[in-house]
Amino acid sequence: MTDATADTAVVVSGAAVLLPGADTVRALADGPAPGGAPVEPADHVGRKGLRYKDRATQLGYALTAAALRDAGLLGEDGMTVPAETTGIVASSNFGNLDTVVRALDTIREETVTATSPMDLPNASSNVIASSAAIRYGLRGPNLMVCNGETSGLDAVHWAATMIAAGRAERFLVLGVEPDNAVVRRLLGGRRAVDGGAALVLEARTAATARSATVRAVLGPYRRAADEPRETAGHWALPAHLGSASGAYGVLQVAAAVGWFDAGRREPVRAVAGGADHDAGAGLLLLAPEAARAAETPEAAEAA
Amino acid sequence: MTNRPIVGMGAVAATGRGVGELFDALCRGTSGRAGLRGFDRSRFRAQHAYEVDDRPVTGRDIPGRATRLLLDAVGQAAADAGLGEDLGGIPVLVGTGLRELRSLELWWRDGSPFADSGLHFGTGLRERFNADVTHTFSNACSASLYALALASDLLDQEGEGAPDTVIVAGVDVLTESMYGLLERVHPEPPDRVRPFDRNRTGVLMGDGAAAVVLRRTDDGSRRVHGRLRGVAVNCDAYHVTAPSPDGIAQAMRAAHRIAGVKPADIDLVMLHGTGTLLNDEAEAAALRDVLGEDASAPLMTAVKSMTGHTSGASGLINLIIGVRALQEGRVPPTVGLDDPVDEAAPFRFVTGEAATGRELNVAQLNAFGFGGINAVALVEGTR
Repeated sequence: MTDATADTAVVVSGAAVLLPGADTVRALADGPAPGGAPVEPADHVGRKGLRYKDRATQLGYALTAAALRDAGLLGEDGMTVPAETTGIVASSNFGNLDTVVRALDTIREETVTATSPMDLPNASSNVIASSAAIRYGLRGPNLMVCNGETSGLDAVHWAATMIAAGRAERFLVLGVEPDNAVVRRLLGGRRAVDGGAALVLEARTAATARSATVRAVLGPYRRAADEPRETAGHWALPAHLGSASGAYGVLQVAAAVGWFDAGRREPVRAVAGGADHDAGAGLLLLAPEAARAAETPEAAEAA
Repeated sequence: MTNRPIVGMGAVAATGRGVGELFDALCRGTSGRAGLRGFDRSRFRAQHAYEVDDRPVTGRDIPGRATRLLLDAVGQAAADAGLGEDLGGIPVLVGTGLRELRSLELWWRDGSPFADSGLHFGTGLRERFNADVTHTFSNACSASLYALALASDLLDQEGEGAPDTVIVAGVDVLTESMYGLLERVHPEPPDRVRPFDRNRTGVLMGDGAAAVVLRRTDDGSRRVHGRLRGVAVNCDAYHVTAPSPDGIAQAMRAAHRIAGVKPADIDLVMLHGTGTLLNDEAEAAALRDVLGEDASAPLMTAVKSMTGHTSGASGLINLIIGVRALQEGRVPPTVGLDDPVDEAAPFRFVTGEAATGRELNVAQLNAFGFGGINAVALVEGTR
């Protein structure tokens, strides 16, 4: 059944970033400047449909629209490919914590009768992924990864795995973390990024078939107990933006796309988690012209 | 077509701990329903749930219960498969609706210790089992069957580094926020879970965890409980809380295609059956559409009538009960189902006593979650 000549590469064919101080992959790769204004989702997707949605879901809408447009998949009349061909994998650890504690506070202080029925779907942690699918009509597999520090790279891995398994031709991969009072208390007073990044991952054959521009090629992914090796030139989120948590891996891939867009050609290694966490994850990103991701010397070494 | 041996199983729910005990209790029609144990009851209209009775003091909740139930189920499944206690390098995929959000609630209101690393299950699995390839998926009530689909995809991979063994688990415990909001949307507070009954009033939550060990191939050294034939997943992209019969039907058809089965091959359907007003009708309509003239052939049951809605764990609890039913030719009843809704009128529900002495080969398992995320699996017995 396996065709030795088949192109099994998974590529990045779209990317978007929304952070205070960076709204493009190039700006992200260069390092967002301090003092940026908070992201205002309504500026990107309009006000319609934002009411009753938590901050993470609103940010997710804006990132989803931007990445789908960047990949040429979203036009004025909606998606340009069949709904079933596109799935979503979202990554967030702090999404919906605000809804959970608000409902809890209301129940404790007033009783359940005072809660809002509109909070029901938002109390389920998958609301970011499913809301984006509903808004943009994406009917492929829909997965919410809440896996701690490695979550963003894990999300990329699962999208690539499902593409390889033939579950969908492409996935929108979304990494987002909101900043709010409950997150800051949980982080001991630190802030979260209050934004994130989104990618379109696609079988290269599917990207080629619709004449999409390849922006990066996925290399091997590894998850293990040991600490990831950080390399010279490794991209890191500036400290002033706070914890990227589940968005971090997706932001790193977006930064790699920014570097490749700017002409850099050497592979980029994204790493997350490590000795201070339950495990570490690493993912190699290769420049667009990489012929076969699994066959490059860098990929073989990293694996 | 997928054909992956299931070589280990573990489970815990309000109705029992251990696969044998749980299955026997369900076949006897034993319900885990009881008065709310961990919450201040004066805050809620609904007063009952299906909790695992493991708190030191009734009425006072403790953190970490989801992790503890998960570790119990994974430990049972690993032991059953002969894997022992070191799961280093073996992927453990956990589906959950609510992660450790109950511990977050107790931290926020009562000041119990908690850190962001405690929201997911990797840390607990690492400490107990040395597991380092762990993944927590928060996919609402279809979570553990979504995890099963991803496990199947991992086992389909070829080449160096592709795993031979994957553990799939599901877990959830009650959170005050979800328990409260679920009752809030019903005009009458739900009193018990009565799937597909005309007089049902809604859903009540249950605590539960389940785990299975899947192998790439049958190496002959272990007893094979059943075989995973295929899992389909999709999103109907329709509504955050209202299910779409069309989207559910598409997931069922895709599962049949992946598994290489026809409607006439299906002997048993383990229904999602939440007892929620909209959901049961949508599930029944989709099943009638997909099964067509065979709609009245398979036995059907909905064990949430005894376990409550165990959310992310429920799909895998369905799988484990379904596999045992195929093994033993015995099917637990749907407790409290007296007068089925019109959409489910043609179905052969098991009610009253358990069905026994049946020749059953193939079971379909359903799990559907908020946001229209649907998962349907097919398993084959090894009787």
